Formats: sequence, C-alpha cells, structure tokens
Amino acid sequence: MADIIVLVIVGVCLAGSIAYTVRNKKRGGSSCGCGCSGCSGGSCCGKKE
Amino acid sequence: MSYTIALAGNPNCGKTTLFNDLTGSRQRVGNWPGVTVDKKEGTYKKDKEINIMDLPGTYSLSPYSAEEIIARDYIVKEKPDAVIDIVDGTSIERNLYLTLQILETGVPTVIALNMMDEVEARGDKIGAEKLSETFGVPVVPVVARNGKGIQELMEEAVKAAKEKKPPKKLPIFDEKLQGAIDEAKKLLEDAGESDSEWKAVKLLENDENVAGQVTEELKKQIDGIVAKAYGPEADLEAVVADQRYQYIAKVVKNAVKKGTTGHVETKSDKLDKILTNRILALPIFAVIMYLLFACTNSENFLFLGINSPGIWLAGIVESIWERLTDLAAGVLGGASPWVYSLVIDGIMEGLGAILGFIPLVLVLYILISFLEDCGYMARIAFVLDRIFRRFGLSGRSFIPLLQGFGCSVPAVMATRTLESEKDRKITTILAGFMPCGAKLPIFALFVSTLFADSNQTLVTYSLYIFSIVVAIIVSLLLNKFVYKDGASNFIMELPQYRIPTLKSILIHGWEKVKGFAVKAGTVIFVSTILIWFLSGFNFGSFNGTNAAENEDGSVMCEMNDSFMASIGNVIAPVFKPLGFGEWRPAVGVVTGWIAKENVVVTFAQLYDEDVTDEYLEEYFAQYSPEELEELGFEGGEYDAEAAGDIYSESVLFEGGDENALPHMKDDIKTKAAAYAYMVFNLLCMPCFAAVGAMKRELKTWKETGKAVAVQMVTAYVVALLVNVAGGLFL
Repeated sequence: MADIIVLVIVGVCLAGSIAYTVRNKKRGGSSCGCGCSGCSGGSCCGKKE
Repeated sequence: MSYTIALAGNPNCGKTTLFNDLTGSRQRVGNWPGVTVDKKEGTYKKDKEINIMDLPGTYSLSPYSAEEIIARDYIVKEKPDAVIDIVDGTSIERNLYLTLQILETGVPTVIALNMMDEVEARGDKIGAEKLSETFGVPVVPVVARNGKGIQELMEEAVKAAKEKKPPKKLPIFDEKLQGAIDEAKKLLEDAGESDSEWKAVKLLENDENVAGQVTEELKKQIDGIVAKAYGPEADLEAVVADQRYQYIAKVVKNAVKKGTTGHVETKSDKLDKILTNRILALPIFAVIMYLLFACTNSENFLFLGINSPGIWLAGIVESIWERLTDLAAGVLGGASPWVYSLVIDGIMEGLGAILGFIPLVLVLYILISFLEDCGYMARIAFVLDRIFRRFGLSGRSFIPLLQGFGCSVPAVMATRTLESEKDRKITTILAGFMPCGAKLPIFALFVSTLFADSNQTLVTYSLYIFSIVVAIIVSLLLNKFVYKDGASNFIMELPQYRIPTLKSILIHGWEKVKGFAVKAGTVIFVSTILIWFLSGFNFGSFNGTNAAENEDGSVMCEMNDSFMASIGNVIAPVFKPLGFGEWRPAVGVVTGWIAKENVVVTFAQLYDEDVTDEYLEEYFAQYSPEELEELGFEGGEYDAEAAGDIYSESVLFEGGDENALPHMKDDIKTKAAAYAYMVFNLLCMPCFAAVGAMKRELKTWKETGKAVAVQMVTAYVVALLVNVAGGLFL
C-alpha cells in the first residue's frame, strides 16, 4: 500500500512537471526550463518563427 | 475598447523600467544599451484595456541591427494607437533624433522626458512646455526609476490613443529638400502607397528596407528627383540627418537651459579615467572578478579562514534539505527497497545536489547584477573592444557573452543586437563557451572535492578567465578560416554610472533563484527519475533474474550492470585521451546536454551509490571522537545508520577532504583530468534549449550544426591539451 501511495505521489508530480513545461512552451514561454521574466529574451524565445 | 501604447526610445533610456512600472512586470532591465532584444507585451496595471508594448531600443528609424528592425516595423507597420517616446533628458540632443522620426510617422505620440532627477542634479533645466509647443505633442517630465510623473504620462498617452490625432508637421527640412520630399510623396500617393510622406523621406535617405517595398520603376523615379535636386552622386542620407540635427539644435537652444557652460567633468568621467584607463582597466577588471568569486565560492573568504557568503548560505540550504530527506526516509520505512531508492537515492539525492548550489548562484548573480546596473560592465565592453578587435570581433560582442554568464539562451538571442552577420554567427558560437549559471555547480562540486587542497576561488575564477581566452582564440580562428568577410564598427554609448536600487538587485536575484527552482521542479526533477531508473535497472529487473539473485528480493541491479553503465561504456572510450574515459563521467557529459545542472545530479546519484557500509566505517575511522561529533555523530561515536547522510553532507556538498570521494577519484584520477572535465563541460555544446535558440538566430540547421561542431571540437581539443599539459604540472 505504501508503495502505491508513494508511486501515485511521484507520478502526479512527474505528470505535473511535464504538463507545466509543455504548457509553458506552447504559450510561447521559456524553452530552457527557467522563468522568462528575468531574461532579456523572455517571452519571445519559445515563440514559433 | 482596448488600446495599444508602444514604448519607444534610444537604447538604455529607461523603457523597460517604465514598462515594469506600468505593467507590474519584472522584465530584465540593465544599465547598458541592448538589454531588450524583442518586443514585450503587458497590460497597464490600472486599466486592463490598455496594452503596453515595450520595444527594443533604437537610435533611429533607419535600423541597422535585427532588434532595431523589430522596433521600426512595429511603429510603422503595426501602428500602435499611441507611442510614448522616452527621451533620456541627460542626452536630449541625441534622443530627439528618434523623436523627430517617430513624429514623421504620424502616429499619435507623447514624449516622456526621463531621468529628470539627473538633469536637475546637473543644474540643467528642460522646458517641457516649450518642447510641447514646438512639437505639438504632450511632453511629460518623469523619473521612471521612482515612478515620478508616470500617472500624468499615462493620462496623456491614453488621451492621445483615444483621440488618434496625428502630430503636426514640423518645419525640419529646408525648401529644397522639402520640395524633393513633396515630389516623391506625390509619386508614392499616385502609386497608391500608404504612409507616403514617411516613405518619401526614407526613400530619399536610400533606406534599403523601404526601397525593397516599392517597385523598381518608382525607385528610379525617386532617384531622378534626387539627381535633379542634388546631382547624381548626392548622399541624401547625410543631408537629411544634418538638417534634422540642425533643427534639434534650434529646439534645444530654445527649450534647454544648461546649468553650466562648456564641458564639466562629471563623477562618471572621473571614474572612467581610472576604470577605462588603458593600463589599469584590465587589472582592475581581473581583481573585481576575483573578488566576485571570493564572495561566491570560497572556504577561505578573503583569506580570513571563514566561508564566503555563498558557501555559508549553501550550508543552511543543505541542512534544511538533509532534514527533509531524513523525514522522507522515516516516512518511507515500510516501502519496498526500490521505492525507497527512487525517492531517497533518486529524487532527494538528485534535487538536493542541485538545490544546495542555489545560494552560490544567488550570490554570484546579485554581484554581477550590481556590476551591470551600475554601468561597469558596459565599460568592460569598451575596454575589451581593443582586444576583441585584434581578433576580428567588436567589443559589442562582449554584451551577449556577458549575458552568457547567466544563461546561454538569452546570450544567443542578444547576438541580434550585433550589426554584422559575421559577428552574430561567431558570437553565437562563443556564447556557448561562457560559464552559465548551470555550469557553476559543476565547478563548485569539482573544486570542493578534487581541488580541496588548492585555492578554490582561484580554480573557479580561472575557468571564467579560461572561457574568455578560448573565446578570443576561437574568434581569431573563425575569422581567419571560416567567416572571413564583414568587418564591423564598434559604436557603443557608455551609460552614466548609477547606484543600482536595492529593489532592482533583489529582483534580479529573486528571478534567478526562481528560474533555478522552476528548472529543478521540471527538467531536473524528470532527469533525476530518468537517471535513477537507468542507473538502477537492467533487463534482469524485468525478467525476474535480479529478484531471484538479490537477498532482499529487490529488482534493482548493481550500478555497473545497469542500462546507464551499458550506454556509458559505449561512449566512454571517446573521452579516454581527455583523462575521464570511464562510464560515469561520460554519462555526466551527456545528461548535461539536457540541462547542465544534470552533471551534478548524475554525479550525486552515481557516486553516492557506490559508498557501502564497509567503506563508510573505514572512512570515518580516520576521525577522532571530537571530529566525529563535529561532523554530526552524536556523542562522537560512529553510527552506521547516520553515516550515509553525514557522509553525503560533509563530503559531497561541503567537500574539504580531497580523499572524500574515492570512487570519483577512481574515474577522474588526476587534477589535470578533473580540470579537463570542467573545461570540456564549459566549452562543449550547451543544453538543448540553447541549441534551439542558436537555430532560431542562425536560421538553418546546417549553420546550427556547424556551430555545434565548432563547440564540440574546441571542447575536445582544449580538454585534451589541458589533460596532457596539465599532467606535467598538476
């Protein structure tokens, strides 16, 4: 039971982090994994050409 | 109804500072020209119907570099409802050149006279009302850094956007030139062209971009107008510029009252006499950078025998993470061995390895931000121009390289501020050589474990100097053999020295930490699980072999038999001549291409696994009870259960003992090999995200492949030389 609970938690975290990265990229956000706002190329580096 | 207001102005006039103030954003600002390289959109925080567009800085609407074209195209083609033209009051003559051109486009405009605090401090007075009367548009004095005058500015801008009233036509040009403009304008109107007046001026100026938008026939007719008025060889670009400056001179004479006449030596001038001195400039830069690293990563801070602020803060983070790991280990007491291993040896170990370095990154970037914001780094571009020029690059290239100290992605993007294509291509390659924030943990890990008996600050510092030296040499070679054409001139305005605001410095630091934490929670988190899986499993995990062989029934395998070892053993021989031809360091290089932080994560997972109970007992036997107590053993007695955690904390993160990671030393046997490993990671292909940015700027995969090949060959050759030559001395 403990194994299942731990694996569910890890799985949710994993899915969440992948979803966050994909969503961020689709929005034209960062492609490096960092935040955009502190970056001089922020908000444009992930945009489609 | 929504309105769009664009912020335009010369580089480093305060556009992004104003943008942040209006929108509540935290976009990167800096005290050098060219911080913003693309347009950025936000919403006015007091009225969500107002969109604010921050444009890259430009000196004129006759652009030379890629980011200037972005600014010009936005104003001319996309036509915002209004433009706020930000004029740096301390350099009003130069700034008004762009103002005249913006007014010529016919877009409703409001002028923001920025940096009025500095104007007043100089004793100068600028008559905003007189300027407003002359230009026929509102002129509002502001201080963007503290928000003074912003409310009034926005009221005027919104009014202008709603009224959509174009600015009045100004008597800038003499009769002869105006006559030629009118003739060209008529031709354009007859041909059905929009913005005929603005295009007429641009075509007379021989603007290539605008010339490409009209027919050859029309262009020939306009050339005829120029030839008729000024002769066939006339350079009307100079004539137009000259008349604009004459007009500006008249306006300034009328509206600006200088506090003093003649040249007055400012504090900036006095400082520049020392900091940009031909002889002193580079030694001063070297000392400043050394102090930077002494504050960041030293266990003998300024030779005082104490930890640097970065190391001190890292200790706090590590102890918090250690407690969290203990807590997780306690909770997982009843879980299967492989689930326990996933959470503790995989995720907690991997993330802990990288989070422990956040304080070092924080301290380093707060200090670099200070140097950037006070205006010192722009001087270094000026100083380095003398050296860079000899090797075929302009000092302007230093600005993208400087951004590479933070992250390669914005560094590569900042190459668009360079005018020559050759400079852009070469600087894109060189940006990958720079020690980005993600490489710092690699250096810190290696320095603290394999160079524990050396001057650690000096070793870290030498890598930063190394990156610049290699960049210069590679630039020379590329200029000589690959990109031979296209010389460029270096024109860069040196900003005034300013004391950065605490808020600005803290925002820079916070954004860097936030970026690091986001990366740890996404890319690195996924990587820790992937590395853990590949280094703990093999085919036997799935066909029952491992479960049958292991006493505890675990499906996991010995690390040397894992998938990771199989992959690593294939590529490791390539690195043999460099001194690290074992599978673990080889795998570290490869995982580093996902994100450079992964090198440390990989080492933390792969080398920690090899520390057995027997080894720990033997290792700690060398310490006295007092020393054991100091390390964390209660009552100074060896405790097998606590030994693993204490070993990880005291050895892997804090270092201090050159013999602390025996297995790492088995693979990377000499200091020369260790330095070669750091050099290889410093110079080789950056992470995939940076390669994506390279593709964006270089346009084709062929050019990108060429750039990556140069980086890889450079890294290999230099690391080989380091290992061979270093073997003689280290």
